[in-house]
Amino acid sequence: MNKNWNGFKPGKWQTQIDVRDFIQKNYTPYEGNADFLMGPDDNTKAVWDRCMELMAEERKKGGVLDVDTETVSTTTSHGPGYIDKAHETIVGLQLDAPLKRGLIVNGGLRMAKQAAEAYGYHVSPEINEIFSKYVRTHNEAVFDLYTPQMRKARHLGLLTGLPDAYGRGRIIGDYRRVALYGVDRLIEQKQQDKEEMFGRPMDFETMRARDEIAQQIRALGDLKKMAESYGFDISEPARNAKEAVQWLYFGYLAAVKEQNGAAMSIGRVSTFLDIYIERDLAAGQLCEREAQALIDQLVIKLRMVRFLRTPAYNELFAGDPVWVTEAIGGMGEDGRTLVTKNSFRILHTLENLGPSPEPNLTVLWSKRLPQGFKDYAAHISIATSAIQYENDEVMRPVYGDDYGITCCVSAMKIGKMMQFFGARANVAKSLLLAINGGKDEKTGEQLAPTMPLPKEGVLDYDEVRANYSRVLSWLAGLYVDTMNVIHYSHDLHAYEAGQMALHDSKIERLMAFGIAGLSVAVDSLSAIKYAKVTPVRNELGVTTDFQVEGDFPKFGNNDPRVDELAHELTHEFITDLRKHKTYRDAEPTLSVLTITSNVMYGQKTGSTPDGRKIGEPLAPGANPMHGRDKSGALAAMKSIAHISYDDCRDGISYTFSIIPGALGKTKEQRIHNLTAMLDGYSGYEAHHINVNVLDRAVLEDAMEHPEKYPQLTIRVSGYAVHFIKLDRAHQQEVISRTFYEAV
Amino acid sequence: MVTGYWHSRETFGTVDGPGIRYVLFLSGCPLGCAFCHNPDTWGRGEKTITADAVVKEVLDYAEFYRPDGGITISGGEPLQQPDFVAEVFARCHEHDIHTAIDTSGWAPRENIAKILHDTDHVLFSLKGATPQSYAKLTKGDFTTIRENLSLLAERKRTTIRYVLIPGFTDDALNQAALIHLVNTLPGHVDIEVLPYHTMGIRKWQELGWDYDLLDVPAPSSAETNEFTHTLQEPLPDRHVFC
Repeated sequence: MNKNWNGFKPGKWQTQIDVRDFIQKNYTPYEGNADFLMGPDDNTKAVWDRCMELMAEERKKGGVLDVDTETVSTTTSHGPGYIDKAHETIVGLQLDAPLKRGLIVNGGLRMAKQAAEAYGYHVSPEINEIFSKYVRTHNEAVFDLYTPQMRKARHLGLLTGLPDAYGRGRIIGDYRRVALYGVDRLIEQKQQDKEEMFGRPMDFETMRARDEIAQQIRALGDLKKMAESYGFDISEPARNAKEAVQWLYFGYLAAVKEQNGAAMSIGRVSTFLDIYIERDLAAGQLCEREAQALIDQLVIKLRMVRFLRTPAYNELFAGDPVWVTEAIGGMGEDGRTLVTKNSFRILHTLENLGPSPEPNLTVLWSKRLPQGFKDYAAHISIATSAIQYENDEVMRPVYGDDYGITCCVSAMKIGKMMQFFGARANVAKSLLLAINGGKDEKTGEQLAPTMPLPKEGVLDYDEVRANYSRVLSWLAGLYVDTMNVIHYSHDLHAYEAGQMALHDSKIERLMAFGIAGLSVAVDSLSAIKYAKVTPVRNELGVTTDFQVEGDFPKFGNNDPRVDELAHELTHEFITDLRKHKTYRDAEPTLSVLTITSNVMYGQKTGSTPDGRKIGEPLAPGANPMHGRDKSGALAAMKSIAHISYDDCRDGISYTFSIIPGALGKTKEQRIHNLTAMLDGYSGYEAHHINVNVLDRAVLEDAMEHPEKYPQLTIRVSGYAVHFIKLDRAHQQEVISRTFYEAV
Repeated sequence: MVTGYWHSRETFGTVDGPGIRYVLFLSGCPLGCAFCHNPDTWGRGEKTITADAVVKEVLDYAEFYRPDGGITISGGEPLQQPDFVAEVFARCHEHDIHTAIDTSGWAPRENIAKILHDTDHVLFSLKGATPQSYAKLTKGDFTTIRENLSLLAERKRTTIRYVLIPGFTDDALNQAALIHLVNTLPGHVDIEVLPYHTMGIRKWQELGWDYDLLDVPAPSSAETNEFTHTLQEPLPDRHVFC
């Protein structure tokens, strides 16, 4: 046994790579309350103060502090960087200085150039030449592969946000492996896998696997070199908590140096690290304040991660998010809670360092969580609006008890699954195609296959619904093909060797499809079904508006007549998607999530039969349309819960905003009622909820006086943002959402 | 089928009793409080609902109410419709839903007797602690109300909801009377101080009625806290909150 493992309980984790087994054998569930927590130490305060100054400078400079335009960022491209070396307990930056953004080009040169130029920088001529003349990028390859129909669907806003010009992200390396095993053992395992799992016959799949593992082994070597530049030898397992945090962070750092992925989650690290902290605490080598400082300093580093991105990207993913998602808590398969003291410590960073969108702290909720932890999470939600909740009770049966959340709501088994991220299809626009004979309502171009227009006059539900099914079925095929193209190209030209090195060599792959505009689509269907809807058509025969006579049930009011339409639509679409052959036999999943693209998608969608006008935003994720959920918070939650997680295994996102007074009169009552609300929501098998507890007036004031609110954080989708970093259109959209205030 | 006259309902009630509650506001109230923030619930109106429909909706949200919330029937004055309240509460108890009534206590004794069996918690709204306050602010009679409070407090967990109105119920006399009342009541009552607010004025105006307390300001949160604090001191074993 490796001597660095002294004091740990043995298990199969010692002879094979199995972090879950290590956790299960060694962790200490914590059922108590938050009283043990400590404030930040002086080192933390010094480093964080410096970060606050740097972030103020960054804001003053329009959002980007500095860009290195001369060097392509890789794991080993830059020498060590520090924020305030004397006070940093955990070290490592993407570049050689804090908040400096690197060029990551393998996703696409065009995006990198546009991004640099948007902030007044220019990619060096040398890099420009190399990547335009000699290196084929992912972006270039995808567009060579795209069919005319794919381009049209993308251009007209039916399929948007696709990772065809930037890194797909959403891959979670099992960064814990670096700490538990040291890099040498991981390299050894990969070498063994390469020969034993992929020795022969030399067919296409075998050769590709060997090629990828070879890249992974090289990436692990680079990871060691990068750590060496900071003075650390990470060949061997971490010897103590400080090393464990540092080793693990180096693993993550290599990923964000090399990949500008759409979401760069960290996984599920807090309970894992708790094991090291408990060992050191027991040995008297660490005190509680030092333990908290390790987590505070790790979180500071995670808050400093930056990517160079274009303003267009910001339309989709507003607020400069990284999605350093950390999954916290949950229950184990054996019935013990996975909450440890470190689950508290990581939430406590929101108090020690103040609110922040990153890391994207995600509590895996179960009714069976210890009440002390529930109360503390609710307390943090009420104080900061910075955390989200996902239902462990619906995910654990599918993904086991060592899954993480990538991006916002996508679960996967850590180190054993990866996903091909697929943005989303606009199902509101799809309905308009069904009413317009397959023509795009904004341009009159034929987009979907030609189909007869519905009879003139009042729309007949059955007729429209049948056309809609034809559109969805066609769209599913096009969507799968488009995703296949993108991920084939991404694997070839922007392979995430460093992250995949921290996965098993044989992995399960998910293909994550998504939909936008669910509530608009189902309210429109409901209007056609229960009211009288007459299209207004222009000279091209496409609809410009709809006349609606009479009322109709609207999604978000716990009315089964319309909620069932949402269930039916999601079920139909995933069933359609599953009929098609996916790249690398990935398993199709579906999300109801829009990030912040609901605003942009709305701009690309004509007036809809539910009364929404051309260009107006769609509702975010699975939310009811703004202002239409008139039956209270619980009714909206029950409507959301009506959508089945079995159909939407990539997540169902719901953003909930409530004024503090509506949760109860006293602080204790608010905490208590929020935990009861989450218990109920989980009990109805709903999946995800963002909880914002604030007054609309605060947001309105922050729009006018952003300087007063540097840390004001709000959950907008499956992630949080600094409110003042949103553009005005997004700010207005957030303010127009329903705030529950009935008391 | 038992039906009730009702005004509205809130499925996510967090201020009328413990936990998350379904709050049903019945219509019809004879007390005529000068400061009432829901004067639109005085008349019975035409709108009715069956006990079945109420229970069905409560059960639809039961996951939220079961942990330690429940149903609260408020008003209007729920004791004006005791058969309906009793039926709803009995049915809720069949499904392990906690029940609370939010009442002024201005009702005949026999009405109270009807609801006792299946009521878990009484929120007893007190508009002052002296006969004079009642005479000034309501059409009710303090002696009767006090008797009814005593009857309920003896049998049920009871929280007095004391309406704090500057110039009417916040004086030393009322305060002393309230402390005396709590000390002499049977059972162990807690006190919730409800600060008067002016949000009801709009409703009076919509009804075209004169509002007599236009000059009365809402107490500040500091004043409310202060009043609560001075009650707590002589009542150390009671939960006094606002």
